Amino acid sequence: MKTFANANARSVQDAARRARDARQTGQHASFAGGGTDLLQLVKERIVSPDLIVNLKTIPNLSQVTRSSKGVSIGGLATLDAISRDETIRRDYPVLAEAAASVATPQIRNVGTIGGNIAQRPWCWYYRNGFPCYKNGGNQCFSFAGENQFHAIFGGGPSYIVHPSDTAPALVALGATIRIAGPSGERAVPASEFFVLPRQNAAVENVLADDEVIASVDLPSPVAGTRSRYFKVTDRETWTHAVVSAAVVMQMEGETCRAAHVVLGGVAPIPWRLPNVEQMLADQPITEDLAARAAEAAVAGARPLSHNAYKIPMTKGVVRRTVLQVAGKT
Amino acid sequence: MSTDPEKPTEQESDVTRREFLGTAGAALVVAAAVPGVAVEGQTARPAGTPSRPRTQIRLTVNGAQRRLEVDDHWTLAEMLRDHLRLTGTKLGCERGECGACTVILDGKTVYSCSYLAVWADGKSVTTVEGLAKNGALDPLQQAFVVHDAPQCGFCTSGQLMSAKALLSANPAPTVAEVHAALAGNLCRCSNYSRIAEAVVAAGAAGATRRTSGGGQ
Amino acid sequence: MQDNPRRIATSSVSPMKAIGQPTPRIDAADRVSGRATYTRDVYLDGMLYAQVLRSPHPHARIRSIDLSRAKALPGVKAIVTHENCNYVWGAGSIAGGVQYNDDLKKITKQRRYAFNNPVRYVGEPVAAVAAVDRHVAEEAVRLITVDYEVLPFVLDQEEALKPDAPKLWPEGNISLTARNEAAPTVSKRGDVEQGFREADHVFEERYSTAMCHNAQMEPRSVVAHWEGDKLTVYTPTGGIANCHHDIARDLGIPDEKVRVICHYMGGNFGNKNQNQDTDLITAILAKEAGAPVKLEFSRKDDFIGMHGRWPTVQYYKVGVKNDGSLTAIQLRTVSNMGPYRKNNGGVAGIELYECPHTESTLFPMYTNRTTSANYRGPNDPQGYYPIQSLMDDVAYAVKMDPVDFILKNMVKDGPRTRFTNYTLDECIRKGAELFEWKKRWKPVAGSGDGPIKRGAGVAFMSFRSGVGNSSAVLTVDARGQYTLYVGVTDVGPGAKTTMNIIAADELGVPLSQVKVVWGDTDTCPYSVGESGSRTTIMTGEAVVTAARDLKKQIAEKGLPTGTGLLKASASPNPRVEGKTRNCFGAHFVEVEVDTELGGVRFLKYVAVHESGRIMNPLTATSQIKGGVGMGIGMALHEDLIYDRRTGIPLVTGYYFDRIPTHLDVPDVDVTFIEADDGYGPYGAKSVGESGMIQTPAVISNAIYNAIGKRIKDLPITRARILGALA
Ligand code: FES
Ligand code: FES
Repeated sequence: MKTFANANARSVQDAARRARDARQTGQHASFAGGGTDLLQLVKERIVSPDLIVNLKTIPNLSQVTRSSKGVSIGGLATLDAISRDETIRRDYPVLAEAAASVATPQIRNVGTIGGNIAQRPWCWYYRNGFPCYKNGGNQCFSFAGENQFHAIFGGGPSYIVHPSDTAPALVALGATIRIAGPSGERAVPASEFFVLPRQNAAVENVLADDEVIASVDLPSPVAGTRSRYFKVTDRETWTHAVVSAAVVMQMEGETCRAAHVVLGGVAPIPWRLPNVEQMLADQPITEDLAARAAEAAVAGARPLSHNAYKIPMTKGVVRRTVLQVAGKT
Repeated sequence: MSTDPEKPTEQESDVTRREFLGTAGAALVVAAAVPGVAVEGQTARPAGTPSRPRTQIRLTVNGAQRRLEVDDHWTLAEMLRDHLRLTGTKLGCERGECGACTVILDGKTVYSCSYLAVWADGKSVTTVEGLAKNGALDPLQQAFVVHDAPQCGFCTSGQLMSAKALLSANPAPTVAEVHAALAGNLCRCSNYSRIAEAVVAAGAAGATRRTSGGGQ
Repeated sequence: MQDNPRRIATSSVSPMKAIGQPTPRIDAADRVSGRATYTRDVYLDGMLYAQVLRSPHPHARIRSIDLSRAKALPGVKAIVTHENCNYVWGAGSIAGGVQYNDDLKKITKQRRYAFNNPVRYVGEPVAAVAAVDRHVAEEAVRLITVDYEVLPFVLDQEEALKPDAPKLWPEGNISLTARNEAAPTVSKRGDVEQGFREADHVFEERYSTAMCHNAQMEPRSVVAHWEGDKLTVYTPTGGIANCHHDIARDLGIPDEKVRVICHYMGGNFGNKNQNQDTDLITAILAKEAGAPVKLEFSRKDDFIGMHGRWPTVQYYKVGVKNDGSLTAIQLRTVSNMGPYRKNNGGVAGIELYECPHTESTLFPMYTNRTTSANYRGPNDPQGYYPIQSLMDDVAYAVKMDPVDFILKNMVKDGPRTRFTNYTLDECIRKGAELFEWKKRWKPVAGSGDGPIKRGAGVAFMSFRSGVGNSSAVLTVDARGQYTLYVGVTDVGPGAKTTMNIIAADELGVPLSQVKVVWGDTDTCPYSVGESGSRTTIMTGEAVVTAARDLKKQIAEKGLPTGTGLLKASASPNPRVEGKTRNCFGAHFVEVEVDTELGGVRFLKYVAVHESGRIMNPLTATSQIKGGVGMGIGMALHEDLIYDRRTGIPLVTGYYFDRIPTHLDVPDVDVTFIEADDGYGPYGAKSVGESGMIQTPAVISNAIYNAIGKRIKDLPITRARILGALA
């Protein structure tokens, strides 16, 4: 592996400053939360840091804190911890399920929520070092190439799909991402954290090079809120979603008062479906409504040469998840 | 790169602590008897190796406390295999995709190929070599033997470590629970049902031992 | 819980002492404690580390290589390229793609060197570096600059057949036969045109199968070490004897100057019963550097640099009468061999059926993909899947239950083929009964309500179990302790334990009274090597012969005294005259197919096999279960996809290859019907490959029964299922 130095950060600001300082001396710095994915990218020479800033040494960054406003999840909380946390399982099952669906136990044991939402794409062109937008180049090889796992929504000029399972859940839950930089913090709604390629094809989110995810804050759930994460994978484990859905509904008896429906695996960002959300709002959830919601979910989908199958799959995922959240299956 | 003087948090699980208390002496003797083990505080590097950022770390390996100087870019697997010659930990992909390198770090399984040695500072690592006690195979290892869980055996160390961590949390798992807990360990010999059989049997045998009052 | 495995003895099988007892592996304790030493666990004093630079182009001529920057890097000890190393890797390219031997090296015109120019696939070795540690070696490889003249390339085998396709070799893209002729391979019986005239129905279909990687868990690695003119190579090989001879021949040194050691190997699955270019490269680097060298493959090196199952396109035409009897089978196969020929490229399957008129034409094509070679049942699963899918369709079309159709048309023991024993009908009947076929199979494929549909399928197998030459040496000392020397490697099936069982049984002593010495050419005699599922049969037979000889010696002379030894060496070379010796099997599976999401789930999997007498039911059962697991990967997931525009492989590791996990493989209900046909050690036949061969076929048939759509391309992904249902 490439040679680099490791620096153990003492606080998020310390981490951010070390990254900034490194950059100012012409070095490349990377942050390591769990570090699994970073090391894979370093070994493939897709990322070549001179300095790795280890976030694991920051005290209290992995805590889940409850308050009257909701729950604050430290950016370094592991996916395993999140999937087992009592409060999260009770109040935000969509997030607990999404976290539990990531990769493998070993990766969930070290992988963090911050790392999960900020992870780089798993497109095979990117991971094999093709000079694509994500690797600093100026084309997307999937468009005219092997795009069976690529975007059917929101693509262009890059057609990656966002790989995170927790990201759709966080968008559906109305989470806020707190970001620490060298000179302070800022808060960004999860729905504005992710960046479409047409805004900037080189990145997937608004994080600057010297910014760290300090926490992910979830608002207190409204009474009657129910949620689920449904993930379709190619093999049963250690693959990213081919299609997934995070559905959060506020239920009053049979009736859905408000719904948040966000897809994973289909777009370069967690893909929210406002038209479906409107359709479901203030309606009793029936088989028929779920089927119509499923049709509406794929309105505007633009499949590539090898991924049209994601359209029926998306319909099936939306239909089933809506019914499951409503307790209809 | 200077060594981080901060005392790391004590987060060892019961299991690792028990293992530590039970075997520290024996493990040290074993380690000293293995040729090529690095001198404490010094890791041998071949002549002509370029100098690279290094850090002194302290960690517990299979119950024995170690102080080692590691290159910052060494993975935990690299430290264990090349420098402590604990070669039971295997490398199948070095990308966090197969689980052959699984070790238990502070009670949790990790891919040692995808974790830097420096990050293990202050932690406790158990490898497959740490499962047997006083020369006797752990009942889990014994179950692997009886149920033919290793075919080629290359994934076996990793499967064992995942199974060990599972049994610590869930002493009598079902077949489905075993498959879920070991999902991060590939076996290309596809001996999955044998492996699950072995872990379930080890769990059931452990449960019997506990109810009959022995060896809690 | 059922007996696992269930065992049904035919009358020819009488109980034995050690043979037939479920026996844990004699080395299991080493395997579960981390003590078993695999190649990468070998550390020698002063050992250097090697890395390989690989071609980024699918086809290019190397104009020049600039090593100056790499040589200047501190810690670099040796660099080899095609310019300073021109050894031919004999086993890497074989005229005709038949089993490799010395004569073929002389015949083969399309030679493969350790380093080739031009390079013909992405991943082909261009240079190798030895340095003080792996990080320096990796750095050095990156400092080598190669000036390439990029040439046009072709990835697809049917494209390669077109007259205007880019040529990989001057002779064209059809791989040469053993007579160096660029011609397809044709085999026929009867007259297919007459057969089609006699048919009431004619079916024509195109099937394709994907390239799959063996993907054994141990990435290739080699340690090479010269002491004077003697070379020791630690390498993961399924055949130390063949590997040993190949290395000596390729390097042009006498056999006795080479020692090959492989005690443990992290999975074989084909194509490792000879030397590899890596053995040569590491040996040459070690010579150049004057120090031991360890070459370590990354998983990506292993995926793009080594071999997999050849992809195929197969065109079938089948004639059948209204009563379901076959009149003709015609097949045209186009196989994708990559740029070098390592196997014949054929597909098995036609021989499974009684049919008067058959014709098979094979085009083994060169392309600019990683070389294809043997992978567990080299010719079989990719041939079984199409023909047994197609025959399944025929059964529905003539309104026959597929089990009845198979029983009617399958190969019989008769004048055309005389088997040493025959149990195919029994395997199928027993399997149908255990599986409750009549209950699970739906006469109307695709019927049923709801998005999740169930279906059942059947497939069967008849696979060679030939006898042949191998050796064993057995000694006994004054205390009655036996030592068995066998040139086997333990790659997974448990050959060492099997040899121990056979020797102990024949000698009438406990297992522990026979020490097994294995995996080292300096101490072990020739063994056939772990390929073709034949170690038990061939080396096992040698063990029996040696044990009988030694027993006779002991009876005549008594045990030796003092430090003396009695020794028996055996190299039997048995033949089966005028008969075919096969193992048989039938698989049944019930699946659930999600028609909205395209997923396949397994509900029940029954495997019935006749592999002669089972030496060790414990390990034999593991082999069948494991074979099914691999077959599931081939059926549903694995596909080494290339980027068509650049010729670069995209599936370069386990993540993208999606090999089955703990959650993808069901438990398999295994039954052995046991028989003794009088050949092999006590009637033992092949096991290792037989579990995988019919798995893609049986899954294909069950999916068809569930959804009423035939998927004609492997793997049967969610995308393909949803595509077929759209
Ligand atoms: S070697 Fe670490 S996961 Fe494969
Ligand atoms: S036993 Fe061979 S990979 Fe698991």
